[in-house]
Amino acid sequence: MALLTEPLGGTIALEGARKVRGNLTQARIRWMILAMVLGFGLVGGRLVQLGMVVPDHSIEGQTRDVITATRPPILDRNGLEMAVDIRVPSLFAEPRRIIDVEEAVRDLRTVLPDLKEDWLRDRLTGDKGFVWVQRELTPAIQERVMRLGIPGVDFITESKRFYPAMSEASHILGSTNIDNQGIAGIERHMDSENVALLQDLGLARGNALAPVELSVDMRVQHVMHEQLSDAMTRYQAIAAAGVMMDVHTGEIVAMASLPDFNPNEPATALVKDTFNRVTSGIFEPGSTFKTVTVAGALDSGAVSLTDQFDARFGIRFGRFTIGDFHGKHRILSLPEVFKYSSNIGTIRIMQAMGKDNFREFLTRMGFDERVPFELPEMRLPAVPETLSEVGAATVSFGHGLSVSPLHLVTAYAAFSNGGNYVPPTLYKRDATEAQQLYRRVVSPQTSEAIRYLMRLNALEGSGSQMNKAAAGYRAGGKTGTAEKVVDGRYSSNKVTNFFASAFPLDNPRYAMVIMVDEPKAENPQSGTTAGWNAGAITGRIVQRVAPMLGIAPDFSEAIDLNLVPPALR
Amino acid sequence: MIRRINIFLVLTSIAMLAGVYAVKFSIEDTARHRTELIALIDSQEGELSILKADEAVLSQPGHIEPIIKRHEVALAMTPVRQEQFGAFEALPMRPAKPNTEAMDSLFLSLEAGVDPIAAILELEGIE
Repeated sequence: MALLTEPLGGTIALEGARKVRGNLTQARIRWMILAMVLGFGLVGGRLVQLGMVVPDHSIEGQTRDVITATRPPILDRNGLEMAVDIRVPSLFAEPRRIIDVEEAVRDLRTVLPDLKEDWLRDRLTGDKGFVWVQRELTPAIQERVMRLGIPGVDFITESKRFYPAMSEASHILGSTNIDNQGIAGIERHMDSENVALLQDLGLARGNALAPVELSVDMRVQHVMHEQLSDAMTRYQAIAAAGVMMDVHTGEIVAMASLPDFNPNEPATALVKDTFNRVTSGIFEPGSTFKTVTVAGALDSGAVSLTDQFDARFGIRFGRFTIGDFHGKHRILSLPEVFKYSSNIGTIRIMQAMGKDNFREFLTRMGFDERVPFELPEMRLPAVPETLSEVGAATVSFGHGLSVSPLHLVTAYAAFSNGGNYVPPTLYKRDATEAQQLYRRVVSPQTSEAIRYLMRLNALEGSGSQMNKAAAGYRAGGKTGTAEKVVDGRYSSNKVTNFFASAFPLDNPRYAMVIMVDEPKAENPQSGTTAGWNAGAITGRIVQRVAPMLGIAPDFSEAIDLNLVPPALR
Repeated sequence: MIRRINIFLVLTSIAMLAGVYAVKFSIEDTARHRTELIALIDSQEGELSILKADEAVLSQPGHIEPIIKRHEVALAMTPVRQEQFGAFEALPMRPAKPNTEAMDSLFLSLEAGVDPIAAILELEGIE
């Protein structure tokens, strides 16, 4: 209570009790409000502070999701896994949380003695939020490291690619790097399609990705790989390769190239000579190319199956004379030219067609450019832009140009499926999809004639070795022996051999090209020409895979007789 | 009156506080349990992926064939040869059904004491 006195006998003003209490309440309320504001300000400030902290989700510049992203399994056409993801623990450290670096280094090296002490100490010192120590370890090592109980050292589960088929389909699959990104083969192609996008979005983690189905049949692939490995030792060759294609859909059923690598150990892919000879190797196709010349000439109408060609003397081009390897020195019919693989006859057939038309036909068959195909490992073919007289002559029997075995197999598929060029693929493709991609290159009649010639060659010509093994499966094809260029000259003892074939010829389903590089004779009785090695391999492969592909043998002669065109009956 | 309300409110606050803490602890417990389960699922997924990879290796033709080759004798299996395939055309026609009526009459006549075969033999003079 306040008492105010005035000296001049003023009035006394007394504040009432209510007013006094009122004032006091006002003051208290103010203090309360202040306390509340301070309290909430403190909480709000802390919230802002927490919101400012950026959580470190990156691992050496990449987000954790990308590192731990999975890839879809790759299956063959029957659903057998060709590539799967396995989950492996990877050891990382957070240096800013390590208390005693020396102790951590010492303890870690008891479990991982391979790590260099200085490197590890350097790695664990500093203020980084994340460093890898060692990736892709085993669960057993993870257990032992966890028992050490070092603070600031932990594991993260990564996906690692594993290839159950080991090296059998290495060139098809390619491989991945430690970050699970495709670096070669179909793995790389998949990344360019959509997997990389998924991984970037972080959606690939934990979600089962739809498996990728390839056109490859692992059983056929195994047989081809095994036969080629067998050929490497049997003929002491420096390389061998093979590819098989479904002639109606363009699906690649098998593709192998030796020497190969083990995709589970990506370092083996860096060894010299392990490149894929089917797609990125280009070779002179030799006599296998005569099929192309004959098909082009027959299709243009310049020659017919009943025509005769003079093969008595070599053909002179200025200083050069081109002769036959096993000359018959007589007049040959067109089927005989094919059967005896006469260079002279083939040149005459090409000349009847005209070299410009011939060159145009090569373009139509796609020999000028890369085959449209999924694998990134492709090489451009080398075909002369314009052909001189002598150039056209050599090209007609497969010298003076270089194409890949994949080019050859696509051409043979087109010749045997009724004349439609269909681009090859490694993904599953059904007949209706394939038919939309068809491009007619030769007439059905030409296709029939070529099928007859290929079968004739198996029965009476250079394909007889092949036919011995594959009897009953109506296989046929054309051999090719190309001399290799050594020091700028053709060498007679270093050859590349081809056998391009199709089976069963009464109703073609598969085309195949087998290549053997620098083979030697298997025994003194055999030779080094293509029939002895590439042909024999083809026969053995057909014999093994035909039953798997649902082709029953048939020994009736009526089938072969039906293949003979009406003009020759 | 006011005092009673105050006491009631104080008691309610204490009860609510206890409730909030109980919920908080149970949430922490659930979160721990969830983390444990996630870790377990993760490790099991890892094991499963390795088992699947194992299975894939074991079912590769390249893995199976060497085994078959090693045990060729016991299994008596070799790659199929062309001659082993048959065709429907190669199957012989089903043999004609036995003539049951003739057989029945033969047995009936035998039971009746008549032997037609012996009669035929006698007729031919074979004995």
